[in-house]
Amino acid sequence: MSLAIAGMGWITPLGNGVDPVWKRLLQGAEAFAGKITEQFGDQSYSAFRVPDSALASLAPHPRLRRASAISRFAAAAGLEALQDAGVKLDSLNGDRIALVFAISNGGVIYTKRFYRDIVEAGAQSASPLLFPETVFNAPASHLAAILGVTGATYTLVGDSAVGLLAIRMAEDLMTNDSLDYCLVIGTEEVDWLLCDAYRRWRLLRLEPPMEPFSEIERGVILSEGAGAIVLARHGSLVIERTHTGGYFRKRTEAKEILKGIVSDLAESKIDFVISSANGTFIDQAESRALQHIIPDTMIYTAKPALGESVGAAGVWQVILGAQALDRRELPPLLHAPSTIPLPVPASRTALTKARHAIVLSCGVNQQVAGLRLSIP
Amino acid sequence: MRENTAGNGKNAPARVAVVAAGVVSPMGFGLGETLDSLREARDCITRVTRFSVTECRCKTAGQVPDERLLEDGRAAGRSTQRLHRTSHMIIHALGEATTQGPEFKPELTIIGTTSGGMSNGEDYYRSLHRHGNLRHSPTWIANYPAQKSVIDAQEAFGISAPCQVIANACASGTNAIGHAFECVRSGRYQCVLTGGYDALSELVFVGFDSLQASTPEKCRPFDRNRTGMVLGEGAAILVLENLDAARARGVPILAEIAGYGMSTDNFHLTQPDPCGIGPRRAMERALQSAQISANAIDYVNAHGTATLFNDAAEGKAIAELFGRVPVSSTKSMMGHSLGAAGAVEAIVCLLALQHQFLPPNINFHASDDDIELDVVSNEARPAALRTALSNSFGFGGTNASIVMRKFEA
Repeated sequence: MSLAIAGMGWITPLGNGVDPVWKRLLQGAEAFAGKITEQFGDQSYSAFRVPDSALASLAPHPRLRRASAISRFAAAAGLEALQDAGVKLDSLNGDRIALVFAISNGGVIYTKRFYRDIVEAGAQSASPLLFPETVFNAPASHLAAILGVTGATYTLVGDSAVGLLAIRMAEDLMTNDSLDYCLVIGTEEVDWLLCDAYRRWRLLRLEPPMEPFSEIERGVILSEGAGAIVLARHGSLVIERTHTGGYFRKRTEAKEILKGIVSDLAESKIDFVISSANGTFIDQAESRALQHIIPDTMIYTAKPALGESVGAAGVWQVILGAQALDRRELPPLLHAPSTIPLPVPASRTALTKARHAIVLSCGVNQQVAGLRLSIP
Repeated sequence: MRENTAGNGKNAPARVAVVAAGVVSPMGFGLGETLDSLREARDCITRVTRFSVTECRCKTAGQVPDERLLEDGRAAGRSTQRLHRTSHMIIHALGEATTQGPEFKPELTIIGTTSGGMSNGEDYYRSLHRHGNLRHSPTWIANYPAQKSVIDAQEAFGISAPCQVIANACASGTNAIGHAFECVRSGRYQCVLTGGYDALSELVFVGFDSLQASTPEKCRPFDRNRTGMVLGEGAAILVLENLDAARARGVPILAEIAGYGMSTDNFHLTQPDPCGIGPRRAMERALQSAQISANAIDYVNAHGTATLFNDAAEGKAIAELFGRVPVSSTKSMMGHSLGAAGAVEAIVCLLALQHQFLPPNINFHASDDDIELDVVSNEARPAALRTALSNSFGFGGTNASIVMRKFEA
């Protein structure tokens, strides 16, 4: 079963809106990495944050009054995607669209604040206003209320492969004739605590740049934002095939799982690959899998420019792939070593007659997924 | 994944069998102990021992004893020392399922949870905050993600299916089973492993306490004097398979999943619409999915948290839709295990259908004048059951219902 991409929405550290962000990527822009600190931590970290100006056009809504950044990002991206698709929801069709959210760390800012109160001042100081915002499905609930969705609403949690798993879920949901559309949203917010956890896990880089496909794993810079795609049954740009994905037990096994996925998805000619390379072990696993199956295919990752947005990352990759197919060009790959054994767009690169792309997503927490985008 | 295409080009709806199941909860380890607890109407709520509850109104919960949880893992010779309690729980539940019938090979795993390995996050934060020993932080961080426990359990039994982890608050377990059911019914999958899990965590416990949703008293669902919920924990696994394929393999069929409905109630982040429209829509959609009328339902396992708002809204919806159908909330016995609740309660329905009895709603003393239900009060009742419906509702206004049917060849 293939699904069409009917609309897209994007909010990133490079701004909001699919076309503006795309334009900046084509120009070779890289998001500004700000410093984040914590009162009890002696270490500060670099992170790519969404600028305040990117949320300026988000209309006020009672549900967003106390909502965390993750919910606001999701609302901004979701509303843009629906507008792009020309989908209007009302009381008659609120059950004919499903929401599927992809999240990794969730509302970490409020979760930390809620638990900090418990640790510092005891259970009696815990805020009943904060607690409901800590649940993983709070962003989905807020957007459902804003849109008037009354049917299926799912929140999937996982690592940075979760965005593609959510699209796979949307494909399964759309086998049901009672749905006309599925809105898939990947969303994430960044916080000092996450940066600290990634550092202790030896996956974080303290300062930019993120260097994809380097032999030395220097780590990620975390980022935040949201991406949204409206999936429909008909359209000119399709997700031709999703792969159910898989998981690896040890990092050294990731390459074999990726090879299997690429092999399945590369049954027709592939013009380029949108990779999840982020400066960790993932890069070599993807690179080696691709060298084995489709060594002459161009590969691109936007993570050096936008950061690792974890739960939002997979949907961002699909937006990138769809834009590249639609506009027939790829942005320049930033900070890649000259020794990389795969073709990469060193500068803004035309993709004449490109019709098929693979989006490959390997997470640091064992999950792997992929899909194929096509212009029929 | 396979395409099961009928002559008209549409996927023919397949019947969906439960071919294996396993459970760990405060009611016991395994289907047998759970059945005994249900029949004996055991109160499995105890004082919380995992963290301090001195400052909380509520002091009790349904708890899975660590000694036994960890001991059985060691006995099985597995390297499980570094695993989170949730991994141990799922390993137990999946282990029980793997002992039933011929080998199953799921193409997909769909599991519900609300908070994954939250207590690892708590340990990490507390150590950071007091500038304590962070030697274990890589283990805490690695075991925090919600999918980790599911992957741990699959690894323990050589299962390599990709995992989808649904976090739809307290409806997660039923959503997971419902979506797994739809995946098999559509013909896109032959076999899907599903269920739910959650372990008690301080953050969540204090959270419900701060909302005054949990009670310092007994949990009394649907009772006139109910004062709130008590939390619980556990894990339950069900293996769903295309019924024809299961029969062809000669697999014993424990029950059928016949229908699934969900709805989103946009009334409030933590409270249901008092008119009961959200639960009602979910139940109506489940009946429609099962292609049966309301009078075909013989028993409703209610969400029944014993909060004023939930029970009023759910009770109204059940009464309007089903009239005087027998209803119970087994949370009265084991507490509310959040992401595991829907899965554990699906096991309760499965046992009720297999053994032909109505599970009890304990601590029930006085009917609520505003809720006209036939509550299965305090003792299990023998009954001829063919079809049961199980409800789960959660924060965010997410509502889910499944219909289960006794298997009749």
